[in-house]
Amino acid sequence: MTEIGVAEIALITARTLAVCGMALGVALLIGLPLGIALGRRNFKGSRALVALVNSGMGAPPVVVGLAVALLLWRSGPLGALGLMYSPSAMVLAQILIALPLVVGITLAAVGALDEDWELQVRTLGVPRRWRWWLLLREIRLGLLAAVIAALGGILSEVGAVMMVGGNLEGETRVLTTSILMYTQMGDFESALGLAAVLLGLMLLLAGLLTALQQSGRR
Amino acid sequence: MSGAVALAARALRVERRARNAHFVLEVDELSLRSGEALAVLGPNGAGKSTLLRALAGLEAPVAGHVDCAAPGAVTLVFQRPAAFAGSVLHNVGAALLGRGLSAAERRHRSREALKRFGVAQLAERRASTLSGGELRRLALARAFVLEPSVLLLDEPFDALDAAGQAALSLDLRRAIEETGVAVAVVTHDLRRAMLLADRVAVLLEGRLAQLGTREEVLEKPRDPDVARVVGMANLVRGRVVARESVTLARVEVGAAQQLPCTTDLPVGSEVWVGIRPEHLKIDVGRGEVDPVGKAVVAHVVSDGVASSVTLEWAGVQVQTHLLAGRGLARSLAPGETVSLSVNPDHVHAMPTGS
Repeated sequence: MTEIGVAEIALITARTLAVCGMALGVALLIGLPLGIALGRRNFKGSRALVALVNSGMGAPPVVVGLAVALLLWRSGPLGALGLMYSPSAMVLAQILIALPLVVGITLAAVGALDEDWELQVRTLGVPRRWRWWLLLREIRLGLLAAVIAALGGILSEVGAVMMVGGNLEGETRVLTTSILMYTQMGDFESALGLAAVLLGLMLLLAGLLTALQQSGRR
Repeated sequence: MSGAVALAARALRVERRARNAHFVLEVDELSLRSGEALAVLGPNGAGKSTLLRALAGLEAPVAGHVDCAAPGAVTLVFQRPAAFAGSVLHNVGAALLGRGLSAAERRHRSREALKRFGVAQLAERRASTLSGGELRRLALARAFVLEPSVLLLDEPFDALDAAGQAALSLDLRRAIEETGVAVAVVTHDLRRAMLLADRVAVLLEGRLAQLGTREEVLEKPRDPDVARVVGMANLVRGRVVARESVTLARVEVGAAQQLPCTTDLPVGSEVWVGIRPEHLKIDVGRGEVDPVGKAVVAHVVSDGVASSVTLEWAGVQVQTHLLAGRGLARSLAPGETVSLSVNPDHVHAMPTGS
């Protein structure tokens, strides 16, 4: 049995945060404007998109992982990029898991605004850039909910990252995959140590975001 | 005091398509002048809010145009104003975003605007905790902080009690006089409209049925439909039967009841005769009014402020208003016979079929 060292735990934790942070960032960059657009306007195909988002929110991560694996597999459409078993593949899978959550919760927050909210801001002659700022401020509780849900979803996810990352030591090993590995090896002490770090991390992030959310409550 | 034209709509045509309805608003000419309030009256669905939105540039017309003397200086206060997340001060200051003002300047102007509407003490409160009346004042402060040349108000007195309406109308009237802003007020409630209006426009089924000073429209409506909207509750069919002078005639209504009427319509004209309830007097008047016969009290309804008396007169039902709890209003009982009188100037004849 091999007990894991503190330095190794720190490295794995840093890698976990880097992968999740990157995935969350991209999911927010794409998901926020898309969620706002879907929440504000009815356009051709918007209903189908909303249905897709809603089903995506409940999609099993392991299926998402399988789809990404098929995509990145050497013989797959993106196989030439050589991304399989790399942190980039893990980020891609996590983006696909987080994106429907960000879009779905954002569009619900925007949809909850009064129908003529935007018209009221427009009649005040507020320039477009500032209208966006006012809108984000208005839906910030929903946005934080989206961040909490997405972060929780990808931080605790194991199936997809295992499938496309491969849990390679020093490369793609993150907290969830290493917990799984040490448990399978019977090294419960290491698994428990890593689990404590993961739990602590989740509690810390959720606590911070909740505090932020509560301070912004109207 | 009204000044230059601040906003003018010409040959305006706006179309709105709902699921199974097609609504068209047509206005040949309508202008708003600085320092003047125009009340736009009409029943529900007449197109009042559509007109307001078109004037605000929120509805694109399919024909015609809206010209503004100072483009970009038109603002609209909605029937249910939005309370943005944050303080009352932030809500007012939000209107000034992107105008190159420092945060301190925005705060200063916002406080001044809140002061104008008597809600400066609420500056630090969260806007979402305001009452309906306070929110309305916040919305007006948010509109006035922009120093608009045209202000459009959609049902500004909605959901306010009588005291709130009176107080708000006084503040608005003062703000109009001090800033010279041109105002259009849309409402379905005549009495609320009269709290502000210098001129009155009546919209019916998407067309401008009449536009004039409040006295013109209230006392001389163009047709019975306009008369109903402006509260001319007593409307009966009649005929001009005799001419007494160039302007004075006698009209016959109901069961051969004649009454004097100021009209230049020729003898024999079929007319609608309209009398505002407040002009129909119970008991024989002295001097300026002429007795027009006996009537029987049908019923009396009082809301504690005013009593509405319905009378059977010459085979038709008519209404008059009295102050509640005083004099006649206290003693009148159903079945009682009374004398009615009316000033001929207040008997308005409208040609039928026009």
